[in-house]
Amino acid sequence: MSGAIEYFQFVLAPQMLIGLVVGVAVILVALGLTIIFGLLDVINMSHGEFYALGAFIALALASIGLPFWLLLILVPLVMIPIGYVVERGLIQRVFHTSERHVTTLLLTFGLGLVMEDVFRLIWGPNPYRPETPIAGGVDVFGIFVPSYRLFLIVVGAAIISAVALIIYRTRLGAMVRAAAYDRHMAASLGVPVRHVYAGAFAFGVALAGLAGVLLAPIYSVFPTMGRDFILMAFTVVIVGGMGSIAGAVIAGLFLTQVQAIVSLYISPVWSDPIVFGIMVAMLMVRPQGLFGRLGHG
Amino acid sequence: MTYKTMMMAALLSATALGGAQAADPIKIGVVTPLSGTYAGIGQQVKWGLDLATKEVNAAGGIMSRQIELIYEDEEANPSVAVQKADKLFQSNKVDFLTGTVNSASTLAVGQVAERAGKLIATTVSFADPITGDKCSPNVFRVNAKAGQQSAALAAWLAKDKPKAKIFFLGPDYLMGRSTVAAFKEAAEKTGATSLGEVFAPLDSKDYSQYFGQIRAAQPQVLYTSVAGNDTVRLLTQMQEFGLLRNLLVLGASGTVTAQNIAAIGKAANGFATGVGYSAELNTPENKKFVEAFKAAYKTEPDLYGADSYGLIYAYKAAVEKAKTTDTDKVRDALRGLTWSTPQGQKTIRAGDHQAIQTMYVAQVTDGKFKIASEVKGEDAIGPDTCTRF
Amino acid sequence: MRMIDALTRSMRASHLLVALLVAASLVFAAIGAAMGETFYLRLATEALIFAGLALSVDILLGYNGLLSLGQALYFGLGAYLSALVLMWVPSFWAAFAVTAVVSAVVGLIGGFIANRVRGVYFALITFGMAQVAAKVVYNTRALGASDGLIGVPVIDINLGIISFSSASPAGFFLFVLGVIVILYGVTAYLLDTPFGRLLIALRANERRVPFLGYRTMTLRLSAYVIAAMIAALSGALYPMLRGFVSPELLFFSTSGNAVITVIVGGVGTLAGALYGSVLLTLLKSVVGSYTEHHVIVIGLLFMGAVIFLPRGLMGIVRPAVERMLTRRSKP
Repeated sequence: MSGAIEYFQFVLAPQMLIGLVVGVAVILVALGLTIIFGLLDVINMSHGEFYALGAFIALALASIGLPFWLLLILVPLVMIPIGYVVERGLIQRVFHTSERHVTTLLLTFGLGLVMEDVFRLIWGPNPYRPETPIAGGVDVFGIFVPSYRLFLIVVGAAIISAVALIIYRTRLGAMVRAAAYDRHMAASLGVPVRHVYAGAFAFGVALAGLAGVLLAPIYSVFPTMGRDFILMAFTVVIVGGMGSIAGAVIAGLFLTQVQAIVSLYISPVWSDPIVFGIMVAMLMVRPQGLFGRLGHG
Repeated sequence: MTYKTMMMAALLSATALGGAQAADPIKIGVVTPLSGTYAGIGQQVKWGLDLATKEVNAAGGIMSRQIELIYEDEEANPSVAVQKADKLFQSNKVDFLTGTVNSASTLAVGQVAERAGKLIATTVSFADPITGDKCSPNVFRVNAKAGQQSAALAAWLAKDKPKAKIFFLGPDYLMGRSTVAAFKEAAEKTGATSLGEVFAPLDSKDYSQYFGQIRAAQPQVLYTSVAGNDTVRLLTQMQEFGLLRNLLVLGASGTVTAQNIAAIGKAANGFATGVGYSAELNTPENKKFVEAFKAAYKTEPDLYGADSYGLIYAYKAAVEKAKTTDTDKVRDALRGLTWSTPQGQKTIRAGDHQAIQTMYVAQVTDGKFKIASEVKGEDAIGPDTCTRF
Repeated sequence: MRMIDALTRSMRASHLLVALLVAASLVFAAIGAAMGETFYLRLATEALIFAGLALSVDILLGYNGLLSLGQALYFGLGAYLSALVLMWVPSFWAAFAVTAVVSAVVGLIGGFIANRVRGVYFALITFGMAQVAAKVVYNTRALGASDGLIGVPVIDINLGIISFSSASPAGFFLFVLGVIVILYGVTAYLLDTPFGRLLIALRANERRVPFLGYRTMTLRLSAYVIAAMIAALSGALYPMLRGFVSPELLFFSTSGNAVITVIVGGVGTLAGALYGSVLLTLLKSVVGSYTEHHVIVIGLLFMGAVIFLPRGLMGIVRPAVERMLTRRSKP
């Protein structure tokens, strides 16, 4: 019996805690992805590169001496106009074609390729590892956990709740949901649909950028950093239901816990195919995911 | 022949042939990682080759032909390495090729060399099969393989921590599996117990998900063969999670080196490895080499720099013995060749193309490697398992 | 006089363009062989192999309206099967036969899974399936895991009349050219049959086709299996060229490149897949000699094609050829 408790305390619980950190990280990236899909019907294949862009902007601003805490606010603010311009200048160009899903997917895929190579051009191929903003660790029930990872869980949870509050509880969020449900109806009721679309895209990529700043001290900053995370983020969005915030949170937590616990018993490299397999199965059985999309209930 | 007399001999032969007209340069292709997690290793390879080439060229070259090095980025990726090697052989018409770091790249490029009828040598790859069951008549290795490193390290461990309980964490490719298998075998022979093994992909950014299995196993010793920036992340993350307390970390030669030790910081203390070279070696040849290296590149050489530096002199000796760059003749000249390097004398075993050399165990104290023990080349090399030639 | 409809006319224009490409390739091979230029011949061979993959993407995207983001699954399947067979029996015919049979079966299974969903979900599910396959191969020791399979032997390809080595640069280039032209020909023929026309009708109006008495699932599944087999047979050529296979062949970058090739070359033209692959390889090697950042150029070109040229390169070239053909067919 004491063996089981010890196993839980020293093996299982820390592993679940590590999984929780990954879960929060993935949800932060997935959140923007699901909002953009929910509202614009656009699968943003360049989302991972916007995540990287946030990290690189933070890197550049930190090199001129700005403190980490300021970057958490500054980087999303820089990302918003960038996202707005990308939506107005690129996405809208192909938004009204008959096969909008496919063309916007292809366009953002191309954009991601270009962005990744631009990062390589400016910053080179090698990773930068920013200084951890909070050094040291905390003893949690006999397990030593790095303070920054605990900080990430707390801040991540706060950001996720704030986003959910904005979308579901504010006037702004109501306009967004209205535009997602029926854009013509919303437009006739005076919702500035054009700005809502561009704004939602900007908001989504700003969230990705914020995730980039937050995760850089753990995962390092390098041109292809977007690829590592985006697969998992896509999986979370698909399983949770494309466009659903609650779905992204639940699927994100569930899938990363599956990964963490599975990693105790089999080689952790096999956790990826298991999770992607869940995604394929979900698409077969219930392509709309666990939860409905934004604006639809 | 010492390093100094060799230089003198080179100088003499250059003056003797001084009357002959300058011929085309001898082209050596270098396919090495200039980006990615192994970029730091590629950098040392480049420095070592550049330094030796500069010296040889200044002394008149090889048979009064200058050496020209042509670099391509391998990205530590076999499929990229194959394309770059093909280009160097077919387009640049290089006479010889070296630089591959990733063990799978070395094997794949060896196959390209066989098809092109050229020779290659690795100065970095550890995986035993390269000069073992997957040996090739066109591939040579002048650095110590996993088996040589493990023999030295296991002998030291048996004295320092008898009957140790060991957990293994390797990079998930040829080199990782080969180093783990080699050390496991060597350590179990000297009485240690293996608790389990796990492999992480090359260039992993977060190792925390691997910690669960380490926690569950409760080892006294962790053997790891990750290298380059991967070691920086693994060891600093283990320290962040308090996993380095009461744990002895052992590794492959390339796990902790001059190139990444500063970035690892305190987490490197106590780390021990079996290695064929250390800048601390107290011989006149090595002191001279370290000085020249530091003067040129503002940093100490590590094993990769030293092994790559030595290769140029091996190739020079072989070409001068063969009096041509012809593949078959140079191959014959390299077989059984004994030459001087900053690490002491090395001999290429004719049966498997593996260099025999003295091995050391080096341990980190206060951010510096100290030599802890030494094993003779013949005792570390192990049997010849190559059956192809 | 037989009526020539728009589809037949555009197909003929494609055939003419492919014939032109073949002629140019023959000249290229002759020059390359004469100059002993191995590197560029191998590069051109690789371009043709990936043209086969692009062809399979075009069947789905151009004629079925379905974007596959995971066609590398079948390309990689073919490459690994061929490598495994060749390491066991060094026979081209054995490798090709095994690849054809296995890819048909796997394509059927994959098709059942993927065709349960439509539109953007089809893109995602193909993407997901390829990811699972890539990760499984990447982690399976028996398949060489992340290192891939090294040591595929050089083989002699016996065509009855002539026999040559897969290591012969010009010989193998011509052989691959032949295989890809045959794959193109078979595809073009199938699309010109009633089956192909139904596929196109299905794309235009999904609801109406069942009323004509055809089952949409059967149609779609057939197209999917054909595309899978073409991708796999192209992939089977890869280890013969390079002597090894690696999991990168199954990665998203391989699927993505095929999509880029088709969009830049021209969706729904078949010839566009071939020209696109040649064009991109040419760009990579020309731009690549000035800067290692050729992806920026290719990415921008791709984005430009998505926005301004929905029919890609063929959208400019083919109508001109069609006009030429019409003019000549009129007395």
